[in-house]
Amino acid sequence: MTSDTALPPAPGAQAPAPATETQRRWARQHSIGALWETWGITAVLVVLLAASPLLSSDFLTVANLQSVLRESAYLGIVAAAMTLAVMNGTFDLSVGGQLALVSVTTLMGYAAGGTGLAVLVAVITGVACGAVNGALVTAMRVPPFVATLGMLFVFRGIAYVLTQDGPKTLPYSEIGSPFVKIGGLNVAGIPLPFLIMVAFYGAIWVLLRRTATGRRVLAFGSSPEAARFCGISVHRIRMLIFVVIGLSVGIAALTYISRVWTADGSAQDGFELRVIAAVVLGGTSLKGGKGTLIGTFSAVLLVGVLNDLLVSRGVDASYQRVVLGCVLITALAIDGLRTRFAAPGSFAHMLPRRRREAPAR
Amino acid sequence: MTTAAPERGARATAPRARLNRAIESAPLALPLALIAVVLTVATDRFLSVDNLTNVVVAAGIVAIPGLAMTLCIAMGEFDLSVGSTVSLTGAVTCTWIVGGHPAAVAMLVGLLVGAAVGLLNGLVVTKLGVTPFIATLATLVIVRGVSLAYTGGRDAIVSSSTLKFLAAGRVFGVPMPVVLTAVTALAAWWVVNRTRFGRWVCAIGSNREAARMSGLPVDRVRTTVYVIVGVAGGIWGLLISSQLQKGSGQLGLGFELDAITIVVIGGTSLLGGRASVVGTLLGAVLIETIRNGLNLLNTPPAYQRISIGLLLVVALTIQALRRNAPAEALDDV
Repeated sequence: MTSDTALPPAPGAQAPAPATETQRRWARQHSIGALWETWGITAVLVVLLAASPLLSSDFLTVANLQSVLRESAYLGIVAAAMTLAVMNGTFDLSVGGQLALVSVTTLMGYAAGGTGLAVLVAVITGVACGAVNGALVTAMRVPPFVATLGMLFVFRGIAYVLTQDGPKTLPYSEIGSPFVKIGGLNVAGIPLPFLIMVAFYGAIWVLLRRTATGRRVLAFGSSPEAARFCGISVHRIRMLIFVVIGLSVGIAALTYISRVWTADGSAQDGFELRVIAAVVLGGTSLKGGKGTLIGTFSAVLLVGVLNDLLVSRGVDASYQRVVLGCVLITALAIDGLRTRFAAPGSFAHMLPRRRREAPAR
Repeated sequence: MTTAAPERGARATAPRARLNRAIESAPLALPLALIAVVLTVATDRFLSVDNLTNVVVAAGIVAIPGLAMTLCIAMGEFDLSVGSTVSLTGAVTCTWIVGGHPAAVAMLVGLLVGAAVGLLNGLVVTKLGVTPFIATLATLVIVRGVSLAYTGGRDAIVSSSTLKFLAAGRVFGVPMPVVLTAVTALAAWWVVNRTRFGRWVCAIGSNREAARMSGLPVDRVRTTVYVIVGVAGGIWGLLISSQLQKGSGQLGLGFELDAITIVVIGGTSLLGGRASVVGTLLGAVLIETIRNGLNLLNTPPAYQRISIGLLLVVALTIQALRRNAPAEALDDV
């Protein structure tokens, strides 16, 4: 402060302010709280992985790790797109129905015209589902929660109608087909579904962090009012988000169905809730405007690893649910308590401020 | 949100309020009448006393948790864990009956379990500050797990006349579920329209922060509502177990969406701030009439899902299009 005396009083008084503001912002971004927000769940994943040999001797084998990655991929792919939606302050409850429907149509496509047609059908069905959701939300102005809840019934119902004569399955004779390789192939020891998932996260990251559209997604999520005053068209963004979710389900269904080989209307019941749980576990706030893709990525793997560990420990499937539910509540409770204590007027908020003022006095 | 204020002041300008309310329930009464006419013409069994009783009983059973959920949604929150509560309550009650306890005691224990799940939800939401959507999503998973673990994956099959009376019994010729629903509906109407508690619930739904600033015991009200939903879920579980004469970890899958659907179709806004008891009842009747009609027409179950989904979307589209402010619709989650 004293070094600024040469400057005129008015700018001199203001000049240090931006500097300290930048410093403060840097400090805020690199505080333990902020780091925890971005990397917390990743840290938990690393700790869990480090502790895994103690929990299960068979966990850290190549085959087992490959299977965890392969199993996690379809959930992860949809979770990436769902992260966009949740950041935008909305969500899509219909993904479970979409996955069932796309899986069924994909198998029908494969039966009709082989791998190429199957992939095409998967992507088209997924995008079409997303477009229907998007149209309902934007053109018909139905609140996303109910629109997608209704479409969950509809998509699942269509899948049921298509499989009335029994579930669609891939015949065993197709084991050598390229379609099965989508789910089963390993590239340099890494399962192809996981590579697809990583590529999808890369694409979503670019969309979110390197394009104006991504900015708008976040901007609307953090303040719908402000975004509207800035002239951001919510409709276009929401449409895009729902189509991206549909596309993600199309891709996810390919990695899922080429591994599971069979689907009917009841496939993946409750999938939507698992996806949203993974997104929220990853630190994305349901209020919108805040979240990270790496959080979702790690949360998906965390759930996968945890599931695998529980299975290998011989824990009953019913207790697995209890454990996963408790993990979700704990993660959210930590987050909730932290934001509560950081709120204006709370004790914890007073503490750092006093510390900051201390050197000045 | 904005609708709450006119409705409050509406007591003074009754005719207009009455008109508004009539318009609000019209989207439901109209399709209901239409479907009833179509079914009467298309099938010869729809208008029989037996069949209509079936519809009313089915509607009554889903209306009980629906009415509790109406309070919850009016408060601007959700409870996704009802389906699991149904399963756990039924499982506990039936296991206790199988274990040789009197049916009345077993049913009471079942209801207490429901209340406990509600209390757990309430405490997680208020004390731990977890968003209701996620908190109840987590308890949905947890309670389902507990229910499966408790039953060990087996069905607890009972033959108890006391339990059976709950769903199949009649009081002065009126089916028991209908009596229960009538009592619940009257209680719900009274709570929403005539009590301080109902006002508080709607006030929290319109603006929780303002409610807190006004000195309302926000956390206590929220917890109470979750306990009410838990108990209603418990009653639902008892009724379902009574119908099937068994308790199982598999019962009640996806029931939470049924309960939410009838509330939303009934016109209770997801924005919170107002509750429509009559709407929820009509919503329950509408959905069960459609299910019944599709059954009578021998439609495969798959089409039932589609039609209920479409109904939900159409009802909401009408609601959304009727609202003049386009911005408001987009703030809904």
